[in-house]
Amino acid sequence: MKKILIDPITRLEGHGKINIFLNDDGEVENAYFQVPELRGFEKFCEGRPVEELPSIVTKICGVCPGCHHMASGKAVDAVFGVEPPPTAKKIRELFYMAHFVHSHIAHFYALAAPDFVCGPTAPAAERNILGVIAKVGLEIGGEVIKQRRIAQEIQALIGGHQTHVIMNTPGGVKKGLTPEQRDDIVKKSEDFVEFSKFSIQLFKDVVLGNKDYVDIILNGPYSLNLHSMGLVDENNKVNFYEGKVRVVDTIGKELCKYTPNEYREFVEERVEPWSYLKFPYLKKIGWKGFVDGQESGVYQATPLSRLNAADGMATPIAQQEYEFMYKTLGGKPVHATLAMHWARLIELIYSAERCLELAKDPDIIGKELRAPLNRIVGEGVGIVEAQRGTLTHHYWTDSKGMVTKANLIVGTTNNNAAICMSIKKAAQGLIKKNTEVTEGTLNMIEMAFRAYDPCFSCATHSLPGQMKMILNVLDKDGNLIRSTKRD
Amino acid sequence: MATSSGRPNGIDHRILLLGIGNDILTDDGIGPRLVEELSHLSFNRQITFQSATVGGLETIELFAGYETVIIIDAIKTRDGSPGDVYYFTPEDFKETLHLSNLHDVNFLMAMELGKKLGYQLPGDIHIIAVEIVEDEVFSRDFSPAIQGSYPQIKEEIIGIVHDILELK
Repeated sequence: MKKILIDPITRLEGHGKINIFLNDDGEVENAYFQVPELRGFEKFCEGRPVEELPSIVTKICGVCPGCHHMASGKAVDAVFGVEPPPTAKKIRELFYMAHFVHSHIAHFYALAAPDFVCGPTAPAAERNILGVIAKVGLEIGGEVIKQRRIAQEIQALIGGHQTHVIMNTPGGVKKGLTPEQRDDIVKKSEDFVEFSKFSIQLFKDVVLGNKDYVDIILNGPYSLNLHSMGLVDENNKVNFYEGKVRVVDTIGKELCKYTPNEYREFVEERVEPWSYLKFPYLKKIGWKGFVDGQESGVYQATPLSRLNAADGMATPIAQQEYEFMYKTLGGKPVHATLAMHWARLIELIYSAERCLELAKDPDIIGKELRAPLNRIVGEGVGIVEAQRGTLTHHYWTDSKGMVTKANLIVGTTNNNAAICMSIKKAAQGLIKKNTEVTEGTLNMIEMAFRAYDPCFSCATHSLPGQMKMILNVLDKDGNLIRSTKRD
Repeated sequence: MATSSGRPNGIDHRILLLGIGNDILTDDGIGPRLVEELSHLSFNRQITFQSATVGGLETIELFAGYETVIIIDAIKTRDGSPGDVYYFTPEDFKETLHLSNLHDVNFLMAMELGKKLGYQLPGDIHIIAVEIVEDEVFSRDFSPAIQGSYPQIKEEIIGIVHDILELK
């Protein structure tokens, strides 16, 4: 058999890149986080029937296809001027809750837990999911894989495919649930609730039980005083599928609350010459630069900001945990970046409880799956909360429903400015004059953006495995003085 | 695609040929496209043909139960020429574009985790990677360079797959 031995180096563009610039005193002056960007989605959509988009957009990102499918489905509903019947909405949301369970479990155990269970400066070879399992037990590892699989089974059952989801159709869903399928989902959802409760207890034991970790969360170089964005229901409770976008300021006061089709009145995107990704900001405040504080136009759209922007959780256990988190951290809003991990686990509980709630709802096996279509409005916006932030799809069509234009603001892009600022702040706190930049330093800087659960697959590509990272330290003239690379 | 469903259930049905990539991102979908086309050919062993978009943790349950897995993925290297075909085993693995998952774990860690958790993972894994040009632009068409060399790429990969199967 032919065997070609080569030693390819994955292209540099496939790495996340952080350039840290020092001043004359050897202190951090600035930090830039850069990733590449996918191009041409709008052109790809143009000329296609708009009802095809919900299935096409699942291919934008292999990590959060369900989020794009939901936002797209809602935008297409709006293009046709229809509102899905209650059963269809609940089936969509049930699918979506399973998608959240799947994603939040993966993030906590594979990406977040290693920093705390193994330690933020533990050797890289040990600071991973294998290291976590070595400490918490093999059976937990088995549960992680099992619960993810079950969540995927529910997604595949409802969505037609776990990744290339095809369930949404203009005005509703393509198929309903049988009583037997509903019963099966009820049992699986009960398991989700138990596993989510276990997961947050693990967080409490490992993180809150360690004074050093609590100190890192509250007093480390990881806090940003920014406005918070999140989707809320009619009671201002967190909702991932439907509602209004609410933004509260740095002290928790409501800045604005808007329906999806009003988003352009409230959010604008800025272009910086050094980044492929745009930087959304609050239009009514304006762009004031990469600064935090009450006067800043920068906002966050993360699990923590969703909790900050809401008045509570709509399910009982999640609400208890919500109250406990804010009580422990000194009240609302919380601006500690690493508390995003805690908020994500509260969202995991909410998703599991909501999954169970929806599965038990008599409407879930209803027969009215789709609203009739009788007009084309020609423009529609769909907004959902993706795991990584508020996700907006906006489509325009001609009178026949053929796409003429599309605009997307993906979850992580909302946080682009905040991620850059978090990295800079972490770098400023961790790199001082004559500091040796070690792998541990790199990881602790990386923790600043890993908390956001960044998924650049929507906007970027080819970032294999745990984020490959090049950290360059440069002097004020741009000369490289230190570089650390992690594959 | 001629994909068998479920897990292999016979001694002659323990080979998975997996194409990974995104078929609307120019050259990125070359793995799934090749696997789809290979599914129409005759091989001396029964094969399950499948495609996926990401690797990472997903690969644990995807691979479980198979004796042999052959993966076709895209790759971009610093000095490669479009259409170059590389062959790796896990022992000399170099990162391809999709076998790992940004959102969870890299490929080798997924395999190690799966083994620790008691999954019956294949002892025989082959990775075929195709040097591509463009994977950041949405398009169903390959780049001119890959489109032009596609027949040769396909023939070379068919040869490698036959070689692997003959060694079984």
